[in-house]
Amino acid sequence: MANLLELVDIHKSFRMGTEEVHVLSGATLSIAVGEFVALIGASGSGKSTLLHIAGALEKPDSGTVLFKGRDILSCGCFERYRYRNRDVGFVFQLYHLLPELNVLENTLLPAMVAAPWYKALIRARPGKKLAVEMLTDMGLGGRLKHRPNELSGGERQRAAIARALINRPSLLLADEPTGNLDPRTGQGIIDLLIRRRREQNCGMLLVTHDPNIAQLADRVVRLEDGKITMT
Amino acid sequence: MYKIFLCFRYLTRKGIVIFPILAVWLCVSMLIVVYSIMTGFVDRVRDAGKELMGDVVIQSTLAAGFPHYAGLQKALAKLPCVAASAPVISTYGIMNLPEYQTSAEVEVLGIKPALQAKVSSFGKSLFWQYRAPLDAAHDLRGAPFPLTGRKLVSYARGKLNAALIDFRQHEKRIRKLKPIKGSGWIAGIEHHWHVIAREDYRQAEYHLNRVFRDLRFVQKLPPSAVIPSDAALKKALLPSAPSFIPPPQARERYPNQKAEPKYGCVVGIDIGLYNRDRFGHYHRPPGVRFSPVILTIVPVTLSSTLATPQSHRFQIVDDSRTKVFTVDRHTVYAPFHVVQKMAFMQQQDLLSGGVRPARCSEIEIRVHDDSQQSAVNAARNQIAAAVRRYALKHPGMQSTGLTVMTWLQEQSQFIAAVDKERDLITFLLGLMSLVVIVVIFLIFFMIVRDKTRDIGIIKAIGGSEVGVGSIFVLYGLLISSAGTLMGVVTGTLFVIHDNWIHDDILWRIFGITIWNRRVYIFSRIPDQINPETVATIAILAIVAGLLGAIIPALIAASRDPVHALRYE
Repeated sequence: MANLLELVDIHKSFRMGTEEVHVLSGATLSIAVGEFVALIGASGSGKSTLLHIAGALEKPDSGTVLFKGRDILSCGCFERYRYRNRDVGFVFQLYHLLPELNVLENTLLPAMVAAPWYKALIRARPGKKLAVEMLTDMGLGGRLKHRPNELSGGERQRAAIARALINRPSLLLADEPTGNLDPRTGQGIIDLLIRRRREQNCGMLLVTHDPNIAQLADRVVRLEDGKITMT
Repeated sequence: MYKIFLCFRYLTRKGIVIFPILAVWLCVSMLIVVYSIMTGFVDRVRDAGKELMGDVVIQSTLAAGFPHYAGLQKALAKLPCVAASAPVISTYGIMNLPEYQTSAEVEVLGIKPALQAKVSSFGKSLFWQYRAPLDAAHDLRGAPFPLTGRKLVSYARGKLNAALIDFRQHEKRIRKLKPIKGSGWIAGIEHHWHVIAREDYRQAEYHLNRVFRDLRFVQKLPPSAVIPSDAALKKALLPSAPSFIPPPQARERYPNQKAEPKYGCVVGIDIGLYNRDRFGHYHRPPGVRFSPVILTIVPVTLSSTLATPQSHRFQIVDDSRTKVFTVDRHTVYAPFHVVQKMAFMQQQDLLSGGVRPARCSEIEIRVHDDSQQSAVNAARNQIAAAVRRYALKHPGMQSTGLTVMTWLQEQSQFIAAVDKERDLITFLLGLMSLVVIVVIFLIFFMIVRDKTRDIGIIKAIGGSEVGVGSIFVLYGLLISSAGTLMGVVTGTLFVIHDNWIHDDILWRIFGITIWNRRVYIFSRIPDQINPETVATIAILAIVAGLLGAIIPALIAASRDPVHALRYE
């Protein structure tokens, strides 16, 4: 299988007061097209940092990030915006929905980022049909006009998943998506993620602490001492 | 597209935006109102100053004036830029009204009224010879034209009857007013209603007098003459040129022809003979017109010594309102040749033989093109050259210290003071507007802080730095545009209706008077809107809003997405 994402020899350190903390010291990981990889590790081991680097939200001190063979770090900023918008979908532990927008608008936001500005003038909503379909499929058909504060945690996360998938990305990056949910709701979210990933045939890098969730992945990797180890 | 979309969402779903919109709104309204009223005031002062005298004035530094003015006028008439010129004698004296046992210091201007009306607004400043007939034409414009003089009189009588009924109603209302008992706020309201009733009664009385005057004017028209339109009525009522000659009805005031002063004079409206009400109307007591006036002046000789005071008896034939208070307060206009004689400035035969030519204090000139000040300045230069040439040929003129000035130079101190006042107020308001920029900056800073996590989310889904920044810049633009639009609408409406707001809301309901017409020379608060001024204020307000938004927008654009996402 061809590699979708390759993280090669990633180094990253942060300054904590006067001390320099090396979070990642030569982490290397690859994800194949359509592959589901679970990333586990202790708290503070750098899982989220690795996820952010994979999504071009953060730059490593050194190392290479290749997406479909293309070096993301050496790309221009517009290429990186495009990568975050079209190729990657983020799902966060805290959902991160915009409180001023309703469920449908939150879902459509990445599609709007991709659309040219004049579409706003003709009040066109690119991807609306797909978003409604997706949200209905996720059980949010009756909640399209609701604002995030009117939704339960599970509903918010489903809306966040719909937002991550609206531009049909090749890679889903999920940072402890069930961390804020009860086990039953969390299981429902994972089932949904797996189903939708399979339907769209996209790769997924999922950060989790839960071994039950990790075992559902095609492959489980552990981040330990700043390096990736196979389990 | 998301920038416009998010911007509108933040605008419609965040209550805090109301504060910067309010700040911009109030500031724009305030600037438009203050600047328009002040500019209107300055413009009226300038217009009044310009109309007060000719466009160009030739003056002598000597109190005894300068000679050969008639020849100079003839020489000036040959200049293509000169439309008309009029000689004036200016001196100071005492005005005494024997019937009222009062006297006042006045500036006596000896003028030729018909000529003076051609160079200044003297003719239009007269009440009985211009304003009153114009009022009559205005009041009767609703008559069913064409109609005969007789029918017009009967129409005017109808108006008089209606005014009389209205006056009697107000009279009854006044009589029914009960004395106010006690004190406190209820008594205060009662008192205010009494004040309103009395003012309304005075207005009805003023109106009654006015329509009565209208009737007297139309009664002078030939009964069988057909008046085709209101414009024709206006033409028929207005005299061809102002005059100091007393009208025939003045004779009724005096026991015999001998007792009647031969010449009339015109007094400034604010000289102290007339009352002014809170609406700016002048109430003319019936006996003042045609009452005798003794003017006494002290002539100044050529050697600048004072001669024996000279008095002359006139009668008041009219009053003048130039809208320049110092002029209307202290000026009396009298026939040129009479004042000239009183001031010893007439042509005199010398004991040594020969003749001392007649003199005047100044020559006022109207130029053909006075629409632009630059044209007036050019005309002034031509006139000054002509005066120099003329003075060279007439040695007696060279030592009289002749100066040639435009009206603006002559009035510069007066107008510059008002100009500076307006500029100062605008500057102070401009400083206050800086507060608006700071308010917008602070509110935007708070909004950006509040939206930190949103910024992280937008960047995580592919939003660029420029995109995030432009959301907040656009946000600032829309807020300042909304505030500016509201400010322009309310400010403009306020200025257009300021007299109504002042009289019918502030005074009638709350008893507040800001523009005291008894004090201000203009009866109406300036209510002209200058579109260029409004556009300038609007553009500045939008730019100010943008400036307030730009730093928070830059902060938002430069936020690290990972830190933003972790922001609590």
